[in-house]
Amino acid sequence: MPQQANQPLPAGYVLNGYRIEKPLSSGGFSIVYLARDETGTPFAIKEYLPSSLPLRTDGVEVKIEDEGTLAIFRHGLKCFFEEGRALALISHPNVVRVENFFRANETCYMVMQYVRGRTLQFHIQRHRHEFSEAFIRRLFIHLMNGLREVHASKLLHLDIKPANIFVSMEGRPVLLDFGAARITLSEEGTKLKPMYTAGFAAPEHYRFRPEELGPWSDIYSVGATIYTCIAGTPPQAADAREEKDAIIPLRSLARQDYSKELFDIVDACLALDRMKRPQTAFELQKTLMEEPSEEKKSFLETINKPLSKLFSR
Amino acid sequence: MRFTIFQESRVGDREHNEDRVGYSYSRDVLLMVIADGMGGHLQGEVAAEIAVAEITRRFQQEARNKLKRPFDFLVSAIQSAHRAIVSHAVERNLLECPRTTCVACIVQNGRAFWAHAGDSRLYILRRGELVAATHDHSKVQQLIDSGAITPEAAAKHPDRNKIFSCLGGVVPPIIDPGQDVALEVGDTIMLSTDGFWAQIPANILGSMLRKQGILELMPGLLTEAHRRARGESDNISVVAMTWENQDDPNVADTQSLDDEQFESSTNTTQQLGGSGPLEDVSDDEIERAIQEIQNAIRKVPR
Repeated sequence: MPQQANQPLPAGYVLNGYRIEKPLSSGGFSIVYLARDETGTPFAIKEYLPSSLPLRTDGVEVKIEDEGTLAIFRHGLKCFFEEGRALALISHPNVVRVENFFRANETCYMVMQYVRGRTLQFHIQRHRHEFSEAFIRRLFIHLMNGLREVHASKLLHLDIKPANIFVSMEGRPVLLDFGAARITLSEEGTKLKPMYTAGFAAPEHYRFRPEELGPWSDIYSVGATIYTCIAGTPPQAADAREEKDAIIPLRSLARQDYSKELFDIVDACLALDRMKRPQTAFELQKTLMEEPSEEKKSFLETINKPLSKLFSR
Repeated sequence: MRFTIFQESRVGDREHNEDRVGYSYSRDVLLMVIADGMGGHLQGEVAAEIAVAEITRRFQQEARNKLKRPFDFLVSAIQSAHRAIVSHAVERNLLECPRTTCVACIVQNGRAFWAHAGDSRLYILRRGELVAATHDHSKVQQLIDSGAITPEAAAKHPDRNKIFSCLGGVVPPIIDPGQDVALEVGDTIMLSTDGFWAQIPANILGSMLRKQGILELMPGLLTEAHRRARGESDNISVVAMTWENQDDPNVADTQSLDDEQFESSTNTTQQLGGSGPLEDVSDDEIERAIQEIQNAIRKVPR
């Protein structure tokens, strides 16, 4: 977890009717808390608080003394609003739901549904090389439902990676963290500068030619995420690949049997040429649903099994 | 103004060049700037890039004629570069803020003004002698100042790369304004990163400058700095300017430039787009954005 120089809100603190229980995670940009409303319903509340700025050493109010810091703080706030706008437009079981958005303590808060479970990143670290083909296909078929909804709302996620995919206790993947999401067709969206995560961002994302970004850019990140599930580590970063492509073939990193078709799907998603990737989440979803030709235990049979049973040993 | 200027940045034995250099001048005022993005920190070259681009941008915006207060400009431009780096990190959600050293120099009215943060250096050499230099914001420099180690020992000290002021850190940079030096004909102002100054002592530089001009001398000296590092060379960068006889018709005169025209050169890649001043977000805008999000939440069935 990256360093957060700022003090989190204390347990028991009541924020606009939500009682804070504990911080769940903290990132470069925010702290996420577990909180409950009056009825006891749990929520995840994201507090905008850039970790690189010293903003709160005591108490709950964000205090900004100098104008320069205030300008940076408010500029970052715009990105936080983008995330809120993006999420507010979508209602889908595979996309985290935003329930409320408000201003308090001189900063802003986004209230999201609380999903019990862990991030895919946690599972990869904990169960390195233990993901079966059936599990992977099932997880990403479901995730593509969410991503189709995102794209249908004319949004791009632009930061799909294992840390941003939550897996609920029942095994339902939920797409999180729309901090990088852009409303693709608006002027405003193209003016903002991109954020990206090395290894998961598509090559066109590094170049930041807005006209080159599209559903295929998210598809690249999905490919990199599947790659990470199998290899245990992300692929070589796309900007480095464009200079000298030294991506380690996934086949050579796999520690268990996967079908040739699955490797081919990942390779296609990770094509540097964006035209050679599956062009839509639906197209990728279809290929993931095709039964591999080899003798493989049918993944479709496993689709309703609980998550814990899907890690093959 | 009549001067000769040289600038070069080499990768040395490193994989990437995290140094950025640049100069820009109009009829009456010259800016030289150098930044050494910090290895060990994420995206050092990004920090150096932003520093040089932002200071140059401010310069071209404010030095239409001459700068009224060169020191105020330097400190303010370096501070705004620092803020641009931090804001870049916040915008991209970077876990660690990229960092860079920086030294910038302004020449106008026949005088030199400079300011720096970190351990990239400025020297002024006159007839082979060092007449002014920046004082590194480094741990070893503190040790030398306190008498704990000799300058010779500093060159081999394990902490020789540790600096206590830089752009992009959590703590705002300490920015030291230098002196205001009246230039004499033949004076050379040189800005360099540690890949250069750690290998080529100022006295050697001085004695060689007595025999050769910067344009003939510097390319070979960069090669020599690289060679002396024996396969472990850091990025090597230099911006150097020699103040010429102001009446010598053989040296180009900046008076030939058009009004408000700038001549510039830099190794920045300019891919970042203008990380210009931050637009102010007003309270009203914040309220409007929140209202808009709340409306959207209510509108979409859940």
